[in-house]
Amino acid sequence: MDLAFTEEQEMLWKSARDFLADKCLKTMVREMEKDEKGYSPELWKEMADLGWLGLPFPEKYEGGGMGLLDLVVLLEEMGRACLPGPFLSTVVLGGLPVMEWGSEEQKQDILPKICKGDVILTLAQAESSARYDAVSIQTSATPEGDDYVISGTKLFVPDANIADSIICVARTAQSSNPEKGITLFLIDGKSPGISTTVLSTIAGDKQCEVIFDKVKVPKGSVLGEVGQGWEMVKRILEWAALAKSAEMAGGNQQVLEMTINYAKERIQFGRPIGSFQIIQHYIADMSLDVDSARVTLYKAAWKLNEGLPCANEISVSKGWINDAYRRVATQACQIHGAIGFTKDHDLELYFRRAKAAEVLFGDSDFHREIVAQELGL
Amino acid sequence: MDFRLNEEEQAFQNEVRDFVQELFRDILPPDFAGVDPGPEEEAREDIEKIAAQVWHRLGAKGWIGLGWPKEFGGQESESKSWILNQELIYNGIPGMDIAACQGDLILQFGTEEQKKRFLPPISRGEVKYAIGMSEPDVGSDMFSLQLKAEEKEDHYLFNGQKIWNSGIQRTDWCVVYARTDPNAAKQHNGISVFIIDPKSPGVTLRPITQITGLDAFCEVFYDDVKVPKENLLGEKNRGKDVSMYAFSIERSYGMVILHNARRYFDQLVEYCKETSVNGQPLAKDPLIRNRLAEMAIEIEVGRNMGDRINWMTGQGMLTVIPGCQNKIYGSRVAQKLSNLGMEILGLYGQLDDTSKCTQLGGRFRHMYLSSRAWSLAGGTSEMSRNIIAGPFGLGLPN
Repeated sequence: MDLAFTEEQEMLWKSARDFLADKCLKTMVREMEKDEKGYSPELWKEMADLGWLGLPFPEKYEGGGMGLLDLVVLLEEMGRACLPGPFLSTVVLGGLPVMEWGSEEQKQDILPKICKGDVILTLAQAESSARYDAVSIQTSATPEGDDYVISGTKLFVPDANIADSIICVARTAQSSNPEKGITLFLIDGKSPGISTTVLSTIAGDKQCEVIFDKVKVPKGSVLGEVGQGWEMVKRILEWAALAKSAEMAGGNQQVLEMTINYAKERIQFGRPIGSFQIIQHYIADMSLDVDSARVTLYKAAWKLNEGLPCANEISVSKGWINDAYRRVATQACQIHGAIGFTKDHDLELYFRRAKAAEVLFGDSDFHREIVAQELGL
Repeated sequence: MDFRLNEEEQAFQNEVRDFVQELFRDILPPDFAGVDPGPEEEAREDIEKIAAQVWHRLGAKGWIGLGWPKEFGGQESESKSWILNQELIYNGIPGMDIAACQGDLILQFGTEEQKKRFLPPISRGEVKYAIGMSEPDVGSDMFSLQLKAEEKEDHYLFNGQKIWNSGIQRTDWCVVYARTDPNAAKQHNGISVFIIDPKSPGVTLRPITQITGLDAFCEVFYDDVKVPKENLLGEKNRGKDVSMYAFSIERSYGMVILHNARRYFDQLVEYCKETSVNGQPLAKDPLIRNRLAEMAIEIEVGRNMGDRINWMTGQGMLTVIPGCQNKIYGSRVAQKLSNLGMEILGLYGQLDDTSKCTQLGGRFRHMYLSSRAWSLAGGTSEMSRNIIAGPFGLGLPN
């Protein structure tokens, strides 16, 4: 057993922490919540130059050739810093599927551009039922000559407002089994017939409604095989759940540290509130939620990275951290008192993000059902 | 990063699993549902007999004190030690005596003579140990203990009382913490540790019946009990060092609780698959699926925390804090599981192992009662939280 970071991972998290502490100030984080695009193109370029955008992609596509465990290390720091922008959308929801199932042409076209920071990608999956299941996929893709015509409404599509390419999950055939007949399309985000509206979310991120109104796409834009899309979606959701868990683990750690610092500084009854035993016990319980979630995240990430079966571990990780991060964030609010309830303090940024992250890529009930299936129930 | 056992550990785990199968074939009754680790359930005669046989077999295998130096029968392997414990505990096999942990103390603090005298009988699986710490007025505040040990010419003279001594009725030795200097400026400086024969003249045992119905622990009265000087463990008045060491090696107690809970959980899952209500298995009920899955997640998270502790131990890192986290966590998960089992079993949950119509051997009824101890024994959850908060530098409570 070896639970240590490699030297490269140590360097990665240290440099990521320093870089983000310098470039991802909370004033910028707040500005981006109101910004139309929701990210800083200059910072995006700098992240490309650091090799972050290409981190998991093979070197032949100008990527860093690193593993998903390394990606998790980086995402943790992004979560700690509340980094706004389309990193998860582009690299995890867009880039990894192209790397895994794209044709050579698609890979050569897209991956180097991702690495250089030239394109933003996302995945359009959920619809009006707001669930991550196959039966909810009603958007249709109908063959017409050399094209498919896509029609339907997607919801909660992250960063679609700025996406150059959208992977759209659509139904190409009706079947009694809702998991059959689903196909993924890699679509130009500026195609005629696509209209995007940014929704106003609790975390101030850019989740969108995307309407596909008879959008014509060439048959060559199919990603993977026609009709085999649902297995791919399940895999993408696993990656996304793990990536979100990593961001949450970073936020969780930061909230704990902020709270410890506050408890040392805040004086009541002539002494720091941290010296009261009840506050110490709250913080001890928070540390348990933080540390247990992190090692559970690493177990899942390690299995995924090794190519071992890991559906259970990923659902254990996301299913646990959903609740753990919420507990930590709410307890932190209680310990911070009124200041934590204001926009003047950074805690509220994390409190809102914890709740948003909880429902993205599977809430606890969603992941418990996967674990139940793994138990053979 | 790699969460796997290495090849040698994997091979050892397989060997242990074969051994467990052997026990099921040779010693354990056919419908054996497993018992909790520790001396409590040995208060039942049938379990006491099984425990003695297992303890002997472990000795014959050379598997007691696997972490000890080779000259005392060990293999200097911490990982083998926890792999063995994990498998025995998960399968609910009685017999792994706390003598093995007390041997760790003797190795650390004993004289060469004491090591030669006390360790070989432990490693052969011949002797059993108990621990005497608590007193009627001394629980978490253990350094205020009052059992008096006066130094005489060739012995110490004991007078006073201990309580909650688990299994001492059935042991050969008890490691007892006593006050040797009542005038020490700081009370933790006047404590010493002794290895005492519970059958010594002047020792009176009065069993106390636990909430489970088992006569598992005792009040122990010491009236002019003479303890030979050579039974003093460590330096006189430096018992605090021994106790701190004992607490630090108790870091694994959370995992003990958790691996024990895994067995109950697996039995409950099977029960839900096999039991139909209103024409469908309980396992298909969405509420039950959700609650079982929540439990599975919590158990898995605890195992991951355990992996971290085992790895840190192998790296020579201090594990007091994660050990305390795991202790709080393991007892909380096990208590929650015991309640879940009782709720799923419903009216059947009330029945014990002797009752007609009982389900799952009455084990959940037992667990619901016995698990109250797990957030108390080996350091209460509140004391554990104090220890975890310490290094954050939050300031001292009043």
